[in-house]
Amino acid sequence: MIKSVEKITIFPGVNKFSQKEKFEKIDIKQGEIVAIVGPTGAGKSQFLYDLERLAQNDTKSKRKVFLNDKKPDKEWKSNPKKKLIASLAQSMNFLTDLSVDDFLKLHIRARGEKSDSKLIKEVITEANQITGEPIDPKMNLLDLSGGQSRALMISDLANISISPIILIDEIENAGIKKEAAIKTLIKEGKIVLIATHDPSLALNTDKRIIINNGGVVKVINTTLKEKGIAHYLNWIEEHTLEIREQIRQGEKITDIKLFCEKI
Amino acid sequence: MKFIIFAGTPGSGKTSLIKYVIQELKPDFKLFFAKFDCLRTEDEKNIAQKYGIPTVKKLAGELCPDHYTALEIPKIIQQNQDKNIILIETAGLCLRCSPYIEEGLGINVLDITSGHPNRYGPILTDADIVAVSKGDLISQAEREIFRYNILNVNPSCNIEEVNGLTGEGAIDIAQYIRNSTNIDGKKLTLKHSMPSAICGYCYGNKIISDKATHDRYTKGKELKGLIPNLNCGKCGFKSCNEFIRAVLDDKIKKEKCPFIK
Repeated sequence: MIKSVEKITIFPGVNKFSQKEKFEKIDIKQGEIVAIVGPTGAGKSQFLYDLERLAQNDTKSKRKVFLNDKKPDKEWKSNPKKKLIASLAQSMNFLTDLSVDDFLKLHIRARGEKSDSKLIKEVITEANQITGEPIDPKMNLLDLSGGQSRALMISDLANISISPIILIDEIENAGIKKEAAIKTLIKEGKIVLIATHDPSLALNTDKRIIINNGGVVKVINTTLKEKGIAHYLNWIEEHTLEIREQIRQGEKITDIKLFCEKI
Repeated sequence: MKFIIFAGTPGSGKTSLIKYVIQELKPDFKLFFAKFDCLRTEDEKNIAQKYGIPTVKKLAGELCPDHYTALEIPKIIQQNQDKNIILIETAGLCLRCSPYIEEGLGINVLDITSGHPNRYGPILTDADIVAVSKGDLISQAEREIFRYNILNVNPSCNIEEVNGLTGEGAIDIAQYIRNSTNIDGKKLTLKHSMPSAICGYCYGNKIISDKATHDRYTKGKELKGLIPNLNCGKCGFKSCNEFIRAVLDDKIKKEKCPFIK
């Protein structure tokens, strides 16, 4: 099996009108962050799905995915112990009636590893940097708020379901600290693909793939200026969150910052 | 001829998955689809209309739907000798039972939100393929744990994630069907015996009492000895057991059975 993925290559399929996509191939290299953008229903999730299934002309889009210039083994997409791809979608919930602590133990066991209290502590600590409301290991999974659940999923994905490729489908609406979440997920040497409508997420990448009517229509390398714009947009969001917190705490809003003070 | 049985609890997404599987297989095979249910269904009509393949509806009524399926399998095979693949969708109520046959392919459609896999009996533990549905609703961690739990109760199965809304996974399920063995000329055997179910209540007793149940059982057994148990349908009932119940309920004379002199 391959331990690291140096390169993903996507070969064209067809769009919703069965027309061939207009690119020769798309290479994504280790360490790159790529945004998938396009209108709602354009086919962003399908693109991520093709990657998750390591499509071989066997999905709706007829795309093909190669890893390290080779056709991947079927087992890599199904067996979690060999799985190369971790994914996080918007609609996911926890359904297991267990404490956070016991749940993480069970997950570690399901991955064929020995239970490790240090790792569990790390998962919870990191999750708590993503959510505003701290998670206690003794809390029941079902009692977690939406933000806490999402934060725990992200931290679990980064620390237990460790995979060289990470797919993220629209996490901007999850009610979490987005920047902390992205920082947790994007560790060195990973390939990250993010389907998003969020401008600061889309511009804080190496490139973005534009999808419309089920097909890739363009691939744009992010410019330095765009990265600067992303930085500014991010500041605006953080400031908005500060104001949100003040409102939640029952304070009156008397002031708004007009200029980015962040360096 | 390939013989495929889909089983799973109601609402797990069997019919939706089957529709996508039919779409995949239709260009290459002559298909027949039989829908088993308890009381009512229109799925067989929808599928016949949408995909233009022959279908049939089988309602179990008073019978255990899995018993009924097993009773009907020989007829379905006999009437469809010109087909390449028979797809059966079971009513899928009872977790204890499963009409999978050794010689065909048994597919359990399992809703990932429906609780711990160790709650399920042969419907899961005897399946060749477990098609896990609704996985997009829960976290990757729980998906991995669910898979681990399935393999604990059925170590030899193949697990595929499917989505009845988008058709994801249907191509993989269709591939398993393509690769499955033919049943032609083979003696068919159930993977798991049916649950033991012979008592006065099975013969239609409604009074909760040991004596009433025993009386009904004795009368039922007596009649059972007189009739040929061929489920020929000449009495107007689809099975001999339903006929016996009707006789014991005084709804019909036992002489309606052409074999009782």
